[in-house]
Amino acid sequence: MGNNSPSTLDSLLSLPRWLWEGLLDRLFFLPPFPERIDSLALFSLLLVVGLLIGEWLHAHARWPRVIGYVLAGIVFGPSSLGWISIEALAQARPIADAALGLLMMEVGRRLDLSWLRHNPELLRSTFTDIALSFALIFAFALWLVGLTPAWAAATAAVTMASAPAVVLLTIEEARAQGQVTERIILHTTISSAASFVAFALVLGVVHAELSEDWLNAVVHPLWVVAGALLVGGIGSWLALNIARILPKRSLAQVFVLVACALLAVGIGRMLAVPVFLTLFLMGVLLASRDRQQTLRYTALPEGHWLLAIVLFVIVGASLPWQEFTWLAGLQALGLLLVRAVAKAGAVAWSGGSLPLSKRLLVGVGIQPLSATAVFMAYELASLYPEVGRSALTLPLFAAAMMELVGPALCRLALRRSGECERGDPARGGVA
Amino acid sequence: MNIKPLGEFTDSAALSLGVELELQLVSRRDFDLTRGATDLIGSLDYDGRFGEIKLEITESMIEISTLARSTVDGIAADLGGLRDTLRHHCERNNIGVCGGGTHPFHHWPERRICPGDRFTDLYQRYGYLAKQFTVFGQHIHVGCTSADDAIWLTQALGVYVPAFIALSASSPFVDGVDSFYQSARLNAVSAFPLSGQCPPLNSWQEFTEHFAFLQACGIAQGIKDLYWDVRPKPEFGTVELRVCDTPLTIEQATSLAALAQSLARWLLRIRPPLDTAKQAHVARYNKFQACRYGLEAMISDPLSLCQTPLKQTLASLLETVSEDARELACERWLSPLKLAVAGHAGDADWLREREKQHGNLNDVVREASQRLIGTDNETQEKTR
Repeated sequence: MGNNSPSTLDSLLSLPRWLWEGLLDRLFFLPPFPERIDSLALFSLLLVVGLLIGEWLHAHARWPRVIGYVLAGIVFGPSSLGWISIEALAQARPIADAALGLLMMEVGRRLDLSWLRHNPELLRSTFTDIALSFALIFAFALWLVGLTPAWAAATAAVTMASAPAVVLLTIEEARAQGQVTERIILHTTISSAASFVAFALVLGVVHAELSEDWLNAVVHPLWVVAGALLVGGIGSWLALNIARILPKRSLAQVFVLVACALLAVGIGRMLAVPVFLTLFLMGVLLASRDRQQTLRYTALPEGHWLLAIVLFVIVGASLPWQEFTWLAGLQALGLLLVRAVAKAGAVAWSGGSLPLSKRLLVGVGIQPLSATAVFMAYELASLYPEVGRSALTLPLFAAAMMELVGPALCRLALRRSGECERGDPARGGVA
Repeated sequence: MNIKPLGEFTDSAALSLGVELELQLVSRRDFDLTRGATDLIGSLDYDGRFGEIKLEITESMIEISTLARSTVDGIAADLGGLRDTLRHHCERNNIGVCGGGTHPFHHWPERRICPGDRFTDLYQRYGYLAKQFTVFGQHIHVGCTSADDAIWLTQALGVYVPAFIALSASSPFVDGVDSFYQSARLNAVSAFPLSGQCPPLNSWQEFTEHFAFLQACGIAQGIKDLYWDVRPKPEFGTVELRVCDTPLTIEQATSLAALAQSLARWLLRIRPPLDTAKQAHVARYNKFQACRYGLEAMISDPLSLCQTPLKQTLASLLETVSEDARELACERWLSPLKLAVAGHAGDADWLREREKQHGNLNDVVREASQRLIGTDNETQEKTR
């Protein structure tokens, strides 16, 4: 879908291009041969390709659809067929930001700290999950892989949390409900919040390590956090105040919510403030400041799956499979194993009212690692591209592997806990 | 077919009381029903001092039942203890708990049948009706000293079924819409083949013969298959009044228990003549009236051949049983019922009023949940 990779696509286009250019002299109304695909056409192609593969895998192998969307991205992305070029990916980035933003806002709205107040065992398990995941991944990256402390910390910050978008979509697809489901959501939201804090701190650490400029080391994390807080605050304030004059749960409220979220995405992009953090904070503020329950019951429209499909196709296409080496693969596998031990260990050790078997299922359900990690990794890598990209190969490969396994693990945990909706297997998600 | 013998009637202390309340488990995010009963029961750390907390047919329901108590105050204490225990454990699981006869907007196909042979059997037998049976009632047990008394009281209480329906009505909304009924819950119960009134039977002997007949015909396996409005419960030695919606507060549930106890005492003391055959002709109509109109119902009297406003008969009934209530030391619990009859809004009216105020049902359930738990301003005011 791009224009400059020497791919089969170029050879396929050579004949129509030759014909078109031949006609240009005779038909003066014709524009030059389109060198770039139109954004809308690109969006629809990504959507259809992702949708078909996701639905096919879901129908035939009972895999979560998200895996299909990612696979579509991998197959048609720069790593394989090259039909989705680097330029096309950049062109589609606003759509991916919008999709990730909406999902992150939804995750932020679900951050329920009051539950921790009533249940100390959950406070223990979420805190242990955060601390153990960061510590073990940091130690693994530092001593076993040999990264510098700054990049090891960056790797830990990027990969410590569960993938909110994958978890949310998998739960929605399975229509799961119950204690395992709720605890997976709680762990995911809290670990995401912690990873964002770690991410902001790591920005400063990376600046400090790679440049002598202390101003950037101090101001950049502040810019990211304060900017995200400000933009998220403005978005939530606007959404709540406009929605207040509209009927609760009305379609108009849904539009206001989506519009304010997209506004926050746009401003975040303009100010170089990470979209995932901005929208997550917007969601948290929406939930915590909504004392009159103005938007509490207003859910995202089913249509957000439309954007989610495109998001995961783009994430799949962004994964650096072309740089894969067996050593990098083994290191990523090691990181995932260490991470799995940390997460399962945290929920198992924390004890509490839920039986051990179900707590372990929570541990399995929070394994996904996905879009947010990939986007965080690229944000960090873009600071110092000459070293960042190679330094962050480890989390990117870990995310690449988990993109394909994580949704299945989450789905497995939900199914084994008996909390999925029974009945017509074709239902759920977008079907 | 797994036939369960009826067993002997276990005599119990006269007018002892027991109350069962079926409660809603709701999500604290949007206040829709949620699935969580099995995990909640599994995580209970409770010694049973106030009675039992147990599963009901779907995962979105939980039943609390008090111990057998001789006084209404004892029932109030048990219900308060059970409510607080449940609140504590629900908070640990991030689940809300709520009263009311129906959940106003839940989608019944999403309900999950609880694990257990009995529940599986019910689902197999009744299909979707079992999921639609996610409605919430209050059952009141009144102890009887003999089996014949129990049968007589079962018949005698039948006449007062509309009164209990109207006083407890708290299910005006079904599937997200106003049903126009004060108690829509009983429409879900009436779909079951063995629901309705106990046939005109005059003694324990007649009852056992009738039950044996139902078993022989393959209609009923055990006493639990009889979904009668009022039925004897031989293993407890009680008569069970089963028509009440679960009220929005445990105080109202206690008041209904006080009325049941006082009325039973009055009936057993006075022994008014029963014309069960004639009453049987108007029972379904009167029940419909009470469900549809609540305290505004017009009740048919098959003996006087006229219709009387339920409010009028209830007002005189509450006066009539006052003396017995005094003797039972539960007179103060009848006051809220007298206020309701005098025109104060009942639970169904409160739910409608809140819906009008908020314009949505999520907030209605949120406030109803606070009301049961006792964290809303109104309840705190009353408690003070």
